[in-house]
Amino acid sequence: MTPQANEAFVERIREALRLVIDPELGYNIVDLGLVYDIEVEDGGVVRVAMTTTTRGCPATGYLKDGARDAAWSVPTVEFVDIALTYDPPWTPDMMTEDAKRHLGIM
Amino acid sequence: MVGVALSRWTMSYFAAAVMALIAAEAVMLAGIGYPQAPIAAPESLLLVHLVAIGWLSLLMCGALFQFVPVLVVRPLHSDTLPLPTLGLLVAGLAALLLGFAQLGGIVQTPFAFLPAAAILLGAGFTLVLWNLGRTLWAARPLPLPARFVVGGLCSLAATVLFGVIFALVLGGVATVPHLVDVATFGLPIHVIAGLGGWLTFTAIGVSYRLLAMFMLAPELEGRTTRGALYLGAAALAAVIVGGAAAICLAGNVMTAVAIGGLLGVACLVLYGRDIVHLYRARKRRVVELNSRMAAVALANLAATVALGIVLMAAGRFTDHVGVVVFLVGFAWLTGFGLAKLYKIVAFLTWLECYGPVLGKTATPRVQDLVTESRAQKWFVLYFVAVWIAAAALLLAQPWLFRSAAGAMLFATVSIGVELMRTRRLANVAPNLRLPKGVRPPHLLHSSVQLG
Repeated sequence: MTPQANEAFVERIREALRLVIDPELGYNIVDLGLVYDIEVEDGGVVRVAMTTTTRGCPATGYLKDGARDAAWSVPTVEFVDIALTYDPPWTPDMMTEDAKRHLGIM
Repeated sequence: MVGVALSRWTMSYFAAAVMALIAAEAVMLAGIGYPQAPIAAPESLLLVHLVAIGWLSLLMCGALFQFVPVLVVRPLHSDTLPLPTLGLLVAGLAALLLGFAQLGGIVQTPFAFLPAAAILLGAGFTLVLWNLGRTLWAARPLPLPARFVVGGLCSLAATVLFGVIFALVLGGVATVPHLVDVATFGLPIHVIAGLGGWLTFTAIGVSYRLLAMFMLAPELEGRTTRGALYLGAAALAAVIVGGAAAICLAGNVMTAVAIGGLLGVACLVLYGRDIVHLYRARKRRVVELNSRMAAVALANLAATVALGIVLMAAGRFTDHVGVVVFLVGFAWLTGFGLAKLYKIVAFLTWLECYGPVLGKTATPRVQDLVTESRAQKWFVLYFVAVWIAAAALLLAQPWLFRSAAGAMLFATVSIGVELMRTRRLANVAPNLRLPKGVRPPHLLHSSVQLG
């Protein structure tokens, strides 16, 4: 896959992940900055590193499964691995400007 | 372990708790118990325990079965124990209320209700302590908020122990002089361990985490938070251990209470500083209704402490101890409890219904499950009614107190209706309410839906 094709593929996955919202903030996990990294490997293998706004949140499992299902919905994706990490811990500064404005983050 | 599961029976605890609160307010409206009767009269004891066990303790237990795992990022020790625990607590409360009614001559049967209540409530709360205690023990070293909960659970153990002794002595089962002494002099310890330790200290611990979580504020683990923990724990130890020692050694229980009171006020001052910092340092500009109403309840706690100090200084505390207990129970604990319940019911209902379809279809936000503009007026009515009721107690105006109790009842029922609407997904826009794979949740218990 060329670098351009790879970037386009990652962008399609990123767009699919926007279907997943953080229930408390009510905004998609990509623009909240909860998705740390998306890697694409040969054979349609996708690896996503993500976090949650708070450790131990009861929604964690659902967010992880939701991200997996959303990424899997992208055509040609054959396998999705979601890794949860708290390093670095999420802070509201990681949100996009649009998300901050939408949520009234100071 | 990346997340924690949905507590299956927390909604059942909440439903039972709200029904007990409504029943208690109806009792006040009917003019049964304090202030129409002396504060130590059986009718008043019935009312106090309906609030303390039926409403506040069931609410706290239901919340802790869900949120202790969140605090310590570990699963609850047993997800099957909460249901039999609830059965024991409700049966024990019923026996206790009947026991007080028996003491007051309202119920006239020879059945030993008070000893039965001691056994049932003792067993129920032991299961609570076992389940939460094992969960916390497995999670050591504990984060600060969880340490407050440990202090609260130790206080619960003391409250229950004293309560069991009272019930056995009042029920005529225990006649050992030492136990009679405990029943005669131990009431302040029982009340402070229950309202101050179990309910307030635990609520303080949970509030550190929940307020930070819901307002995107930094989690506090600094000197003031540690200070609040150590001073609060010392206050409770002074009252419970010092008070028990005073009874055994024929000393003055009130000395231990006074020392505990000073330490407790210092703890609350530090806690107040932390809370003000949390609200100021929050990242979310718009504060949701639950956090706004929690702020009112926290201000009520501060006002109650101030009133207590003024009454002490004026030498009138004993005359108005009922007002202080009323404010702690309704202005602080019930206000905070209802505010957080409004959020927690929506959050747990969202998890149950929409969590499993996340990533498969568009889902509403937690905030879409509630209509804050409608609920806000009921919260305002509730708090205003509580303030009027407290003023009526201070001014010895029983008719005004009953009128205010009626307003509290109306507000509580209205908030209860809002909670049911949330549970029924009635506030969610029709196009988002029931996507494929989602069914309406049960009103009284949670179950994982398959997406």
